[in-house]
Amino acid sequence: MLIEVLLLVTVLSAIAVMVVDDEIAGRLAFGLSLLPLAGSLLMYSGFDGSGNALLGGDIAYQTKAEWITVGPYDLGYHVGVDGIGLALVVLTTLLMTLAILSSWTPIDERQSQFYGLMLFMEASLIGVFTALDFFAWFVAWEFVLVPMYFLIAIWGGPRRKYAAIKFFVYTNVASLVMFIGFIALVFGLPVQSLDLPTITQSLQAGELGSLGGISADTLRAIAFIAMFAGFAVKVPMVPFHTWLPDAHVEAPTPVSVILAGVLLKMGTYAMLRFNFTMLPGQARDFAIPIAVLAVISVIYGAMLAMAQQDLKRIVAYSSISSMGYVLLGLIAYNLYGVGGATFQMVAHGLISGLMFMSVGVIYNVAHTRMVGDLSGLADRMPVTATVFTAAAFGYMGLPLMAGFAGELYIFLGAMQSTVLPYAQLFTAVAMFGIVIVAGYLLFAMQRVLFGPFRADTDYDIVPAAVHDQISIVVLILVIVLFGVVPDLLYVNIQDAVRPILAIGGGL
Amino acid sequence: MAGAFDYAAAIPLLPLFSFVIAIVAGHFAPRLLPKGGAIPGIVATGGSLLLSGWLYVTVSGTEQYFNQELYRWTTALGDEAFDLSFGLLLDPLSAYMLLIVSLITFLVHVFSMGYMNDEGETGLPRYYAGLGLFSFSMLAFVASSNILMAFMFFELVGLCSWLLIGFWFREPGPASAAKKAFLVTRFGDYFFLIGVVAIFATFGTGLFAPRGESLGFPQLAEHALNPEMHMPEHVANFLGVVGMDANTWFAIIGLLVLGGVIGKSAQFPLHTWLPDAMEGPTPVSALIHAATMVAAGVYLVMRMYGFYAGLPNVLALIALVGAFTALMAATMGVVKREIKQVLAYSTISQYGYMMLALGAGGYVAATFHLMTHAIFKALLFLGAGSVIIAMHHNENMWDMGGLREKMPVTYWTFLSGSLALAGIFPFAGFWSKDEILYEALIHGLGGQPLILLAYALGLIAVFFTGFYTFRMVILTFHGEPRTETAEDPHGVRWNVKFPLVVLGILAAVVGFVNMAPVKELTGANITYLHTWFEHGLEGVSLEAYHHILEAQAGYQAAELSSIGPGLVSLALALAGAGLAWRLYSGPEPEAHTDRLGVVKDVWYNNYYQDEYQVWLAEGVTMPLAQVADKFDQGIIDGIVNGVSSVSLFSGSHIRRVQTGVVTNYAALLTLGLVVLALGVGLFGGWF
Repeated sequence: MLIEVLLLVTVLSAIAVMVVDDEIAGRLAFGLSLLPLAGSLLMYSGFDGSGNALLGGDIAYQTKAEWITVGPYDLGYHVGVDGIGLALVVLTTLLMTLAILSSWTPIDERQSQFYGLMLFMEASLIGVFTALDFFAWFVAWEFVLVPMYFLIAIWGGPRRKYAAIKFFVYTNVASLVMFIGFIALVFGLPVQSLDLPTITQSLQAGELGSLGGISADTLRAIAFIAMFAGFAVKVPMVPFHTWLPDAHVEAPTPVSVILAGVLLKMGTYAMLRFNFTMLPGQARDFAIPIAVLAVISVIYGAMLAMAQQDLKRIVAYSSISSMGYVLLGLIAYNLYGVGGATFQMVAHGLISGLMFMSVGVIYNVAHTRMVGDLSGLADRMPVTATVFTAAAFGYMGLPLMAGFAGELYIFLGAMQSTVLPYAQLFTAVAMFGIVIVAGYLLFAMQRVLFGPFRADTDYDIVPAAVHDQISIVVLILVIVLFGVVPDLLYVNIQDAVRPILAIGGGL
Repeated sequence: MAGAFDYAAAIPLLPLFSFVIAIVAGHFAPRLLPKGGAIPGIVATGGSLLLSGWLYVTVSGTEQYFNQELYRWTTALGDEAFDLSFGLLLDPLSAYMLLIVSLITFLVHVFSMGYMNDEGETGLPRYYAGLGLFSFSMLAFVASSNILMAFMFFELVGLCSWLLIGFWFREPGPASAAKKAFLVTRFGDYFFLIGVVAIFATFGTGLFAPRGESLGFPQLAEHALNPEMHMPEHVANFLGVVGMDANTWFAIIGLLVLGGVIGKSAQFPLHTWLPDAMEGPTPVSALIHAATMVAAGVYLVMRMYGFYAGLPNVLALIALVGAFTALMAATMGVVKREIKQVLAYSTISQYGYMMLALGAGGYVAATFHLMTHAIFKALLFLGAGSVIIAMHHNENMWDMGGLREKMPVTYWTFLSGSLALAGIFPFAGFWSKDEILYEALIHGLGGQPLILLAYALGLIAVFFTGFYTFRMVILTFHGEPRTETAEDPHGVRWNVKFPLVVLGILAAVVGFVNMAPVKELTGANITYLHTWFEHGLEGVSLEAYHHILEAQAGYQAAELSSIGPGLVSLALALAGAGLAWRLYSGPEPEAHTDRLGVVKDVWYNNYYQDEYQVWLAEGVTMPLAQVADKFDQGIIDGIVNGVSSVSLFSGSHIRRVQTGVVTNYAALLTLGLVVLALGVGLFGGWF
């Protein structure tokens, strides 16, 4: 029941915020967003699931109901969480509350619509991470795009229309490819519903037949590639990444926080659920190409970040790099690899959110994000400089912050992978990302925060508003908490990951 | 057994509290913070020092050691995966090192009160918070029971160095130096982290020493390498995965971890950050050079010496890198003008000696030199700090001169440290450096020609060390004052003099704890350090190391008296010092460096190593990044836009869409849902 309450409260909050005056919308949205946050923490504290939701585990907060029948297929309503979904729901609600708090300063027009869309997006995201029926899941998946489109297109920067359309079309075409791949798989199975656990278990039982003269093996391979390509756009993996920097640069900062912090995780989450849980054999077959993509994303993404002058573009490209690690962890196919990849989704969500918020605070004050325009800001904005530093070191994988745990697990898993050939070599090359990331972030910090004070802007450089700083400090504390006590999430994650490994190999 | 072990966790945690106090109080109630955070820091590190002393006594009085898990950081579900945890390993080595580190951090805190607080400095809470965090990280690193925990605190040490080197962030210099320090050491840590991950993957544990039934990874490595012992199953499996034999794979791991050591301990070719790090406040330099960051590297080799001892090729490399660094850095120190620059290069050189000792099988010699160096280098930096206060922050030695009469306490203590650094009998450095060279010589003669080569390099460096040390002393304190500031220096107070006196006395006498040549002459058993390290947990003691060195690395010690080699190195040190005296004494010393010709330029520019590293960053990596960016914008994004313009709207139409035809958005928005409906409909038999 809790999930329905969570969804309902969030949607109602969105509607309520939509209709109130602009002056109070921000505060109301913040207050109301505490409800889903409290709900997700309630979910966390009362979590009693075990195993993987798709592989016959005990699903927590499960609801299953008949919904529509289309042809021979039952489109059901089926929600619930396991350790993986739980972690991402907590991430979503936490980050959304803080993103709303950090919107108070930069969003100064059409506030009620802005906050309403944010909350609507939150509901859709919760839907993505809890839905266990393909139909419900896909509806939520698509519904995420709509508010995101408007949030970029209305409140974005100068090229917002271009960026919004590019984002929308690119990810939508990807959804179509993924959709076809998945549906092809379903049609090859003797199932009468789109229920994901049913489909997964049927696939494990080897019930996939041929479809239209295509053999089961070929069908699996085609479906794997189609779904992988579809999700790869969302992650995004190189070479499907070019929508991301444009979207980030144009999006208002709080939207970037959600885009990098949660939306990208939809891609890796779906890869884990669909590609790596449903078709482990194909994942093993394609291990080398996937690892090559992962390593390219890490290194190439980091190199691109190094070439940027816009702080937001730097963080945007570095997200591509960090998400490459997630893919490397997935293809390692062992406990530290897949568990670490899932942990890294949360950790990177928090840290990239923090990084964007820190950039946002600077932008709110200086109205520029270009590295060359700013120098020595620490002199005028000491607290902002401090939190920016904390964010940057978190991004570099400083121990006792969440990012280190995630990356370390992935490296541990990848190094001992028995699924991926040449795993040690792939790991060593990918790990070089930790040097490049230190290079460009330290360089950017040195120029923007330190040295003699100078700002090529018409605005006064003054300390940021208190509520901007609160959201950042809270986020830092959460990141340190998960860095010092990763077991808070990691135990549940491992519990949900182990069944995947039992069928996929590297236990 | 209640006692020091129960309170040992407080040794690192006390400075952590002082960090928290400085951060929180410094932000919310700066007025409540006595001396800008100095007092909490002094109290905390003083407490750490007392506890370390207690621990030292406890460890020396018993054969009981402590190797326990304190906090399980990551619990792995299932039997086949390993947990990751924090724990303390308290044995002779860590107790010894904790005592050194806490002593130096305590004295640096006291000194800082004189150096930083009297200058009307802003940001003092930030400074003391940094010092506290630095002390915490280093002490926790030293007490780490496993290599992952060691790595984590190793990284935090790097962060602290960044914070403190860049303390005066409003100047461009410190900000740049801080970045360089972190980046260069990060490059080393990249290899180290691969090594850590590989150690866990190979051995399934990161423990340094046996804990109950489970062995640490150095012991497992010994089992795997020794054909008479049973190959651990986990190791055998993983060697099958990587497809290498144990010798090769362990050597690779050893070299990877060595990357971190070379970075942090400022060894060639990753030493370039250390001289730049002089941009930080001088007490921070003392801390970094003497007892914390730079010491962390060699300490790591000592901590896992059982692993390295079985790998002769890696040992030879360690010795050669160390000896080469010792000589190269000493030559660069010869021509520097700033007092702190000379000291920086001497640090690089002295850590080179420690590496030489470790590579040559002289484990005790290395630990001995680590201790004597910590004391005399802290002393020299604090002495230099005192001089710099007196000179109103002018560091150029050519502007000094004649400070001997004006600052007698600083002079005599500085002289004590200089004699120790140069290795002049009977000061501390003489005994430890002598033992290093002796160990290198006997093992080299015992059939290791590479070690013999390293010995030769180390021996030549002794001459240069004597020269640059006394050039520095003479230019700073002797002769006539060469500027007005030097004639009327700023006075220093007790909080500067007290640490100097403590360290000055120690630098003179601390070498007596391990006088190997005297033992040989008199037969008295006075090599206390050898006795100290003989004991330890199973496989983590001098005896075990000697056994591994002999059995697996084939190290044999030639029979040789230590008196002759000791006299040779003393003679070289005196020759260097004497040459410096000849060239620079007198009221008006001249710069003789021009006589060196091309060599001077090469030395003054540090063999152009900074240039090539900057070139690697700015001349290779940056252009590469820009090419990647062009490729990304032009080709990859070009294809994306090209495809979309063919299928959805042509290039010119993008502009039209941007100007806002609302129906277009609506049409696009519905696209997704239409796709969904069509998909289900067409394939699901709706129609």
